[in-house]
Amino acid sequence: MAGAWVFAEITRDGPHPAAFELLAHARSFDDDPTAIALGQGATEAAAELGAHGAATVYACDDPVFAEHPGRPAAHVLAGLIEAEAPDVVLFAQTYDSRDVAGRLQGSIGSALMGNATSIADPRHARAEIFGGTKIVDVELAGPAPPLILLRPKSIAAEPTGGTARVVPLEADVPEDIRGARIVERHEESASGPRLEDAKVVLAGGRGLGGPDAFAMLDELASVIGGAAVGASRAAVDAGWVPYSYQIGQTGKTVKPDVYLAAGISGALQHVVGMKGAKRIVAINKDADAPLLAMADLGVVGDLFQVLPALTEEIRRRKGS
Amino acid sequence: MNVVVCAKLVPTGTPTLGPDHLVVRSGTDAALDPGDEYGLELALQLTEQHGGDVTVVSMGPDEAGQAIQRALAMGASRGVLVSDPSLRGADALVTARVLAAAIGMYPFDLVVAGVESTDGYTGTVPVTVAEILGIASVTAVRRLEPSDAGARIERMTERGYDVYECPLPAVVTVTAGSVEPRFPSLKGIMQAKQKPVDRPSLQDLGSRDLTATQTVTAVTDAPTKSGGEVVQGDEAVGRIVELLAEAKVI
Amino acid sequence: MAVLTVAVTLFWRRARSRLEVLRAARPAARTDHPGVRARRELSHVLGQRKLFQKAAPGVMHAFIFWGFLVLLPTIVEAMLAAIDRHWTFPYLGHVAWFAFLQDLFATLVVVGVAIAFTIRKIQRPDRFRGSHMEEADRILLAILGIVTTLLLWNASRIALGFADHPAAAPVTDALSGLFGGGRGTEVAERVLVWSHLLIVLGFLTYLPRSKHLHIITAAPNVYLAKNQPLGYLEPLRIDLEGAETDVRLGASVATDLSRKQVLDLFSCTECGRCQEVCPAWNTGKALSPKLLIMDLRDQVAKEAPLITAGAAGIVELQPLVPNAVADQVVWDCVTCGACVRECPVDIEHVDTIVDLRRNLVMAESRFPNEAGAMLRGVESSENPWGQSASARTDWTASVEDIRVLQPGDPPPEILFWVGCAGAFDERAQRTTQSIARLLTAAGVDYAILGPRERCTGDPARRMGHEYLFQMLAEANVEILNGAGVTKIVASCAHCFNTLANEYPDYGGAYEVVHHTELLSALVAEGRLRPDPAGGRGSVTYHDACYLGRHNGRYDAPREVLRAAGAAAVEMPRHGERSFCCGAGGARMWMEETEGTRINDTRFAEAEATGAETVATACPYCFVMLDDAAKAKGSAVRVADVATLLAESTLAEPGG
Repeated sequence: MAGAWVFAEITRDGPHPAAFELLAHARSFDDDPTAIALGQGATEAAAELGAHGAATVYACDDPVFAEHPGRPAAHVLAGLIEAEAPDVVLFAQTYDSRDVAGRLQGSIGSALMGNATSIADPRHARAEIFGGTKIVDVELAGPAPPLILLRPKSIAAEPTGGTARVVPLEADVPEDIRGARIVERHEESASGPRLEDAKVVLAGGRGLGGPDAFAMLDELASVIGGAAVGASRAAVDAGWVPYSYQIGQTGKTVKPDVYLAAGISGALQHVVGMKGAKRIVAINKDADAPLLAMADLGVVGDLFQVLPALTEEIRRRKGS
Repeated sequence: MNVVVCAKLVPTGTPTLGPDHLVVRSGTDAALDPGDEYGLELALQLTEQHGGDVTVVSMGPDEAGQAIQRALAMGASRGVLVSDPSLRGADALVTARVLAAAIGMYPFDLVVAGVESTDGYTGTVPVTVAEILGIASVTAVRRLEPSDAGARIERMTERGYDVYECPLPAVVTVTAGSVEPRFPSLKGIMQAKQKPVDRPSLQDLGSRDLTATQTVTAVTDAPTKSGGEVVQGDEAVGRIVELLAEAKVI
Repeated sequence: MAVLTVAVTLFWRRARSRLEVLRAARPAARTDHPGVRARRELSHVLGQRKLFQKAAPGVMHAFIFWGFLVLLPTIVEAMLAAIDRHWTFPYLGHVAWFAFLQDLFATLVVVGVAIAFTIRKIQRPDRFRGSHMEEADRILLAILGIVTTLLLWNASRIALGFADHPAAAPVTDALSGLFGGGRGTEVAERVLVWSHLLIVLGFLTYLPRSKHLHIITAAPNVYLAKNQPLGYLEPLRIDLEGAETDVRLGASVATDLSRKQVLDLFSCTECGRCQEVCPAWNTGKALSPKLLIMDLRDQVAKEAPLITAGAAGIVELQPLVPNAVADQVVWDCVTCGACVRECPVDIEHVDTIVDLRRNLVMAESRFPNEAGAMLRGVESSENPWGQSASARTDWTASVEDIRVLQPGDPPPEILFWVGCAGAFDERAQRTTQSIARLLTAAGVDYAILGPRERCTGDPARRMGHEYLFQMLAEANVEILNGAGVTKIVASCAHCFNTLANEYPDYGGAYEVVHHTELLSALVAEGRLRPDPAGGRGSVTYHDACYLGRHNGRYDAPREVLRAAGAAAVEMPRHGERSFCCGAGGARMWMEETEGTRINDTRFAEAEATGAETVATACPYCFVMLDDAAKAKGSAVRVADVATLLAESTLAEPGG
């Protein structure tokens, strides 16, 4: 088995956690997967990658990958692939990795599959579509190695305690193909993603009783990560949160992976703003609230108990 | 600044699969992908401020002409529809090759698309198009302005945004909510009928390899996820956590 | 003679520009049913009916108006007597009863002017805010001048012995005591007749550029008013295949207005009765119907020279929105029609506002963002909430035996038009279920269209998207006619108005009733037997604008509530004077950003009656008032009339 390759995204904080998951995926059919790590900190990351199953790590610490996202990485990968002919290359379904995979497909003409949740072998993978209600099995053809994008958290990373052989690489990226260049970075502290883009939306309604209770949602959001806080019209009208929080027919429309509503009854005017959510959780002390019937998971209970308990439980899970 | 916008016709309700495991695109209610409307709006604003034309390109069945009409009604100057039965079931690579060939037939400074389509959500076709055309690309764009270096672009990140200087021509994908798509006026709809819509054939686009690289072998129903259950008491927190895990959120 | 010529010429020159504007305007096509129009003329103009909607101002104006009519012959008399001092009007000038009438009405005019000044200077009602008070003062003083000079002149004639029946005119007779009868009186008589004439003629030349022009324009304006119920809007008939220049997309510039709309502008007397009742103005919004009409009038007046000059070629006129009227003012309107109801000269403010909206939406795509979601929903899913059509029958899950009319089925006796709110909104669904249960219990042969039902198009039309409405109307009529439907019962006041009044323009002529009417009839016939002893407690009924004021239906819901055992208590603003819930005019899908909320204001009024329940007859009113109740944490229950009836009638009203 020449092998499963894993594109380990190197961020400013080190290897992206998804990289370890990809190694776990790779190890389901290849005992000695290879990881490609491009960017400052790549060599340093090799140890951790090895500890999660990578047998070999191609590492290049050149700053060009951080300065010019996407194109240089695809260029280097293309060269490597031509030289080493792997069977498959796995990517995480993140914005950055996706860009690399997409460009790579353009240059080497390989098959590319997105949103995969598991792989059987280099030519067969599985994905969920239509909001997770259908599973599709896909067969990948073509000459070059297939590129498979796997959803983060589709598998748990497995520490193996191994060590990887590090192969240093030179980045030889011609000036004219470097593409766009980063000139500034802005971190918007603590506010997290916008409502329209967030994968998880936590919304509070009349049941929260006042502006202070929104702090519970803020905390839950920061513990989950990548979550935004919104509100129903009742909370906005009452002045507890600004209009930018409003979700509904005269507010924003959101389509997150998970929509968690606390203290919202679920009037039509609100529902039209979130009915596209893939999964809906509703917490309400009124068992007759329409949103409970509509939700994938309805919780009849006191949100002032459930929300902190939930936050604690998630914190506990993430800590371990 | 001439801009080409990629547009896709997607089903408006829940998409359904045909017996060949492909999404049914004909004979159902379909419309211009809402994600593409953001790209189109950005393109229109850019050309309104800096001059130039917006050309909208779409690959799909005949009905994709509807998506093009809507784009023309919103203000695009020209439409391009590539429609061939052999393209049914085209995967990302074939789509990218066809689009790149069609786009290459027109002068452009910028190619704009949505971040991902609402029915496929792979999100890689635009950058593949960029690679084939040999130009730069920036995805998840929330703001773009022409600059001396080409364009100054703000790209969304998990923590905020990064600013790029990008040489033109380039491909960008635009995030939802970055601009407010305009509602086409009736005047726009009437004028749209007079605007040119080119229909290049596959031959016009030049020969290239259009064999699909993936096939769907089976479609099954997912095991019933936590659908419509109601819990209370102590098990509530646990169930929520399970759901979040199933949704790959934690 | 010369004076007369000068005056008339001046009047004509000044009035001509107004006339040109009218000539350049679109014909109004309002000549049908002349009998109805004539009756309205008699009632509104001669009878001053709408003026009497307010007691004191009504009396004031009636005195002056009737006075003006009665005293018309005296103007002719004065003109001719100015030349020949002995001249009197043939026949009328010699009979005692006319002398009496002259005397009486001249005095009444003086009284009227006194009342007017009392109202304006002492009472100072808020409806005059924004009106040109000095102009009004000048006009009132001129009127006073006219009748006082008339009285004094007649008094001097009596003193000179020219009157036949001085005793028949007590006031004038008493005034004649002021004159000695000699040379001085002869001079005074000349002075007075000339003063009288000069004031009259001067007034004439002042007329065309002032709001007093209404004395000429009001009568035709009343004649051209709508014969249809207030809720009816005239269709635009947009044909996209036709030439672009032929398609009218609403009112953009002054020349887009119809003759009726221009007459509206010229007939406004700035009385402010409309402003006083406007829900937007009363809750702190920028819209005042009076100011809207005044602002449009001012722009048309300003552009009048351009309009007349432009009859030859292209004219660059300023768009009415935002130059005369701000965008927000156009969107503030809830189309409740309270303004139209109040207007003494039958100005149709709502029609003009909708015409302005039509241009903003269809030609310029300029409207509040939030409403875009509603338009998109109606466009792609045929309902304002973008829900899937198959969900229209979800409410039937808990109700037995609902017949869904399939294509090819024989038509039911009556089609129950559920409407989008009644199908998709969980609160309105309760009403739908109550109605269905009641109809079944009464043994009515009915069916619903289910997924084949589409939005009637009302929200799109009120928003100004006439084309979207047209497409829906045509499609719905095709289905209804194809199914052989002849009678429809609607549970939403908006659907009711559109189906009954507006669909005939698109080939859909059905007998349409509102659910309260049908239920009331069923109770009267004994097919439904509510138990009034069930006691619904004290209930106050909120008249829905689109059922009540727009269509004159006030009694049926009250009859139903009485039958259900409710102890009725009325809000101050009820019946024709009902205060809107705030959802009309597509405002259900727009945010209120200024002042207080209309629904909160109305709910407070309802709560103040002390009633335990607020009854509604329209799902929009229901949702708006229920939201207001919840926001206030009030214990007052909001429920539809049908639900209250069901609770008194059925063993398991459910819902």
